[in-house]
Amino acid sequence: MPTERATPHLSDTELVRRCREGSTEAWNELVERFSRYVYAICGRGFGLAAHDAEDAFQEVFTRVYARLDTLRDDSAIRSWMAQLTRRVCLDRLAAASREQPVEDVSDERLERTIEEIDQAFAVREALEELGEPCQELLDRFFARDESYRTIGEELDLPAGTIASRISRCLVKLRAELEGRKASTPPSGRKR
Amino acid sequence: MDDYVDLRLGQLLEMTAAEAPAPGAGSAAALAIALAAALVAKVARSSRDSWSDGPGVAAQALELQSRCPTLAREDTDAWRDALTALGGPDGTSGREAALAQALARAADLPLTIAETGADVAGLALLAAERGDGSLRGEAATAAVLAHAGVRAATHLIVINLATQAGDERSARAERAERVAASAAASALTVEP
Repeated sequence: MPTERATPHLSDTELVRRCREGSTEAWNELVERFSRYVYAICGRGFGLAAHDAEDAFQEVFTRVYARLDTLRDDSAIRSWMAQLTRRVCLDRLAAASREQPVEDVSDERLERTIEEIDQAFAVREALEELGEPCQELLDRFFARDESYRTIGEELDLPAGTIASRISRCLVKLRAELEGRKASTPPSGRKR
Repeated sequence: MDDYVDLRLGQLLEMTAAEAPAPGAGSAAALAIALAAALVAKVARSSRDSWSDGPGVAAQALELQSRCPTLAREDTDAWRDALTALGGPDGTSGREAALAQALARAADLPLTIAETGADVAGLALLAAERGDGSLRGEAATAAVLAHAGVRAATHLIVINLATQAGDERSARAERAERVAASAAASALTVEP
């Protein structure tokens, strides 16, 4: 039976503190919060196949569990996990290359990909902060490629007003992203 | 071929002029709409100081523009599949099913192109009305180009062998065409 998430609104800092105290709920939330991020680095960043990404994922969270006490700045959990994931993936690629040649992952391309992943997650989190109707409007237009007419029909809004509503939501999204940049460390979550 | 975006303009024109069936009418309609969207983005970006929705409209125009090359390539693929199915052996149930599926896909894509074009035409009208007055020509041109793309895509749906009278796709495309036509007519008459 699925358990209700009791900790989704904790900041990264608070979440790490509770994990250190041994909270199972907090640990589950940490895995939930960062699993897609870790998978994205393994898959998009290093091009690992699904089963290799799964193995890397298990290893990353095993290391996080074992080494959480060594994290000096709790708010930097995201960048710390990115580093750990990188090391795990590089180890796996090095091991694989001893058996058969693998495509080299250039540092520059990797940095760019991880930066894109970070931006995508920042936008996703900022969208969650915006709430409705902006979250749905922006998701339908920019992620699902829906037309104004379809959006208007689905959300029961006049099609002629959708473009202006999206523009206003983009202004709010920009403000949210700028606010996050100004008030939190790069890896932190504004709560 | 990846969405035609890596081609130089001259190559694209050469390919379009060639005897090969694709890129053809649907791709040309989608690319006209892409150009229209790019013009809207230009007007909106240039008007950010005087038009608070300018940056948002530019972002939407760029999003719509980015959909068009993919639609153009998919339209090409759909027509290639339809032609392949048409050339299959007559009288087999497999051929009929494959043909019906291919033609349906070949009609679905122009509908998406038409609805994308109607959205671009709507943004072009906004740009003509609220954007920088010195770029009204760009906005009006965008609206007219978008309408042309919508009109062409609608016609392709109507003449598609899979489209019967009363087909929902025709009705939707004709609705998009009315929206685009109205936007283009209005954009052409915006007072300086």
